Amino acid sequence: MAALPVGDAHPAPDGSGFVDGIQRLVVDGHYGLVPVIRGHVAAAVLERVDGVLSAVATEFEEFLVVPVRRLSAPQHTALEQVGLAVYDSDPGARPHPIVDRYAALQVIERRRERAELAAAGAFLRARPGGWLFRDGSIGGLAALPGGDRVVGLVKSHETQFLDGEDLVVALTLPEGCRSGVFERIEEGRRPMLTWYLRLWPWSELDLLHGLMRVERCPGDHVIAEAGDVSRWLLAERTPISAPDARWDRLIYPIHEVEMYLRARVGGWG
Amino acid sequence: MTADTAPVIGRVVATEQLPAGPHQFHFWTATHTSIGIGAIVRVDAPDGRVVYAVVIDGRAYSDLVSPLHDVLAAEGDPAVTAPPTRRTEIRLWTGAVLRQIPEEPLQPVPLAEVREATAADVEIALRMDAYVRATPSTAIPVGMYTAAGMRAPIYLDADFLLGPESAHLNINGVSGLATKTSAVTFLLQSVFAHFPASKGRIAAVCFNVKGPDLAFLDQPADLDDDDRAMYAALRVPAEPFGRLRYFAPLKADGVNLNTLRSHEDLAASVEPLIWGLREVLDYSEVLLNRDDIDAKADAFLDFLADRVVGKRFDDDWGGRHLVESFTALERLFRAIFDGLETTGGRDMWRTHHIATIRKVRNRLLNISTRCKGLVTDDEGAHDLPFGAFEDRSVYVVDVAGVDPLGQDLVFTRVVSKLREHLERGDLGVEHVIVFVDELNKYAPGDGPDTYVRRMLLDISERGRYLGLVLFGAQQFRSQVHRRVVGNASTTVYGRMDMDELAMPGYAVLSPATKIKLATLPKGELMVRHPHFTQPIFLKFPRPASLAGRQGIEQFPPVADVPFDDAIARQLSAMDRRIVRARVVDLIAGRREDEVRAALLATRRAKPSDPLAYFRARLGAVIATTRGDAPDGDGLRSLKPVEDPYAP
Repeated sequence: MAALPVGDAHPAPDGSGFVDGIQRLVVDGHYGLVPVIRGHVAAAVLERVDGVLSAVATEFEEFLVVPVRRLSAPQHTALEQVGLAVYDSDPGARPHPIVDRYAALQVIERRRERAELAAAGAFLRARPGGWLFRDGSIGGLAALPGGDRVVGLVKSHETQFLDGEDLVVALTLPEGCRSGVFERIEEGRRPMLTWYLRLWPWSELDLLHGLMRVERCPGDHVIAEAGDVSRWLLAERTPISAPDARWDRLIYPIHEVEMYLRARVGGWG
Repeated sequence: MTADTAPVIGRVVATEQLPAGPHQFHFWTATHTSIGIGAIVRVDAPDGRVVYAVVIDGRAYSDLVSPLHDVLAAEGDPAVTAPPTRRTEIRLWTGAVLRQIPEEPLQPVPLAEVREATAADVEIALRMDAYVRATPSTAIPVGMYTAAGMRAPIYLDADFLLGPESAHLNINGVSGLATKTSAVTFLLQSVFAHFPASKGRIAAVCFNVKGPDLAFLDQPADLDDDDRAMYAALRVPAEPFGRLRYFAPLKADGVNLNTLRSHEDLAASVEPLIWGLREVLDYSEVLLNRDDIDAKADAFLDFLADRVVGKRFDDDWGGRHLVESFTALERLFRAIFDGLETTGGRDMWRTHHIATIRKVRNRLLNISTRCKGLVTDDEGAHDLPFGAFEDRSVYVVDVAGVDPLGQDLVFTRVVSKLREHLERGDLGVEHVIVFVDELNKYAPGDGPDTYVRRMLLDISERGRYLGLVLFGAQQFRSQVHRRVVGNASTTVYGRMDMDELAMPGYAVLSPATKIKLATLPKGELMVRHPHFTQPIFLKFPRPASLAGRQGIEQFPPVADVPFDDAIARQLSAMDRRIVRARVVDLIAGRREDEVRAALLATRRAKPSDPLAYFRARLGAVIATTRGDAPDGDGLRSLKPVEDPYAP
């Protein structure tokens, strides 16, 4: 594998969308040792037309998460009368505040994933030719009609998919260069085509600085489009999303989706 | 949104750092909005409270935390391709509260929707409803509020502009751009059109202190459709002043008028302003400085005024005097000096020392020299029609060509006479607006305490009780005596100088308001009025009267003409049938002072046959039989006594 210069930056087509989601939780109270956790998830697609972002699809959900199997019938009935959906979390072997909270978090993350899917699906249906950029792995969006127009932007590099010299090439990419496209195969997950792209020079300090991994659903066109997509992403270096600590990999429109959702959710909790 | 409210354009926001108070609050709007500095908005709280405010400041910012981030993103090259995404931007405005309904309890502005004010809102916001809808209405249109694409008339309250509640108007701004004269001209037209008849009759005396500023107020100006629409909306006739009298002193030659309104088509409408000893003596203090007027001189001046001027007076040497002119006064002085000399060189006369008498003589007789053209040595004066002022009339006094001392004399005497007549209630009108430009020259904040300044202070502090209202204008308000500007209940600002705006007196204005003032286009003003809790920006139409500069182009002044021609021209202006040759024949060989006196008398009398009257006033020419004729030319005129039409 060799480092491939992507050429001059060029903005993504007008009408591209950017999707992201947020989640929040708060412990509302306890029935004995059973925590009653209130969750809130939100997802939105901001569409960019003439450089201006505006929300075109949104999803908001507020709900309760409890290990239902540890509740008495009256307690369960009382919760249902609150007026919010009640989702069941893993009761675990025995009550444990940390484990119970973690189990609730799993439920909330699934709800957020569902919200993002709903928002993204709405955009892809409404904009048959529109590209959609997602913060993170493509995940379930791959299954959506129009999933081939989704571009996943992975900022974290906890899992390495290359070895040896290929890994050296990927992690030492110069600014404005990408790796070749390769297939990401992970057990239990849908295979994806992916490549690394260096947005900002790493300056011999941090190998991951400015390094992004781009995901696409498998398809013959992906390799041919990798150059264009890379140039689009290179154009997203400005404006930068500073002061967000992830500004070297977090493109501004995704940052704006987060800002939008936080503003919409407000002082929830 | 209801039929009488505008769409929502913003929302009030409040943070710990930027809280909303009862007097000021902040709101945001879309990036593209029709409002700007000076716009009036309303906030509707869910509980029914309505807050009206004027926008006094605006800020825009994005989520860019540090400019350095933008440099980084562009890699140091400002010419780099424009970013694909525009940063989110906010328009954050500051509103200064004009009025809250209900007024009590006074509370912070609610965090609610913001709308543009409608015309009805503007009326309520500025508390104009109290006098616009009163019977009789005391509303005087001053211009149009035009912010946010909406037009609404702005009215001043006559009770607070012209008294008795408060009074006076002060207008300031840089020369040429602030349109001070135009604004006052329009406002006078508006006052004449709207001042309720039940409040009495009103007139204006305007001092033209520079160039041709007020020289053509009776001539129509070219107005465009926008101006005419504003006149119609404000219900002010788009016409020049119909009733206007124009006064100007003569030049030193005593026949040519000292004014730029000397074009042949207009000269006939200019009346000479000529004062003699009687008119000037009471105001000699204006012309004499403190060194001149010591206690002894003051006593002698009083003696002259009380015992001598206008009365038959016997000196101590058998002479009888009727002193009604500077010439007669000089004869009296000569008799006194001769008398004292012939009676053994005494140095006291009627308890006055000869040195004091000489000093007063020198100073008084010097007045007619220093103010030649305005002050005449001879009898006879031509003055403003004190006692016969007419309702809704303008009296322009042109002192632009007079030296500063003469201007001071004119101001002082005219205003003092106005005050005297208003006090007695016999001026002819109950209210007089006095317009004085260059107020920083006549009532400066520093410098000597002059008679003129004391008089202007007196008007500004007590004039409203008499119906005497001062409309003053100047470039720099900070240079005018603070009691004069402080007593003006209504203040108007045109384009301002930034240095002036940096003075402490403007600290109450927001930086954005100052910037707007410093860049204000012609025809726009900022107004403060007792009913308005914040300054308001407005537009006014161009005056329907011809402006000075255009007037000069349309009616170019004529050059001074020789004595004979000037007399002939002025008589011809009274009666077109009079030809120059006849006048020249008539005055041939006459003394100029006699001719001037006859002309002045003819002007005053306004006879049906001016030439006949003029000839009669000149009197017959007879041959001198004595060899000691004073001028040695063998000719001497006789003054008529009884029948002015006698041949």
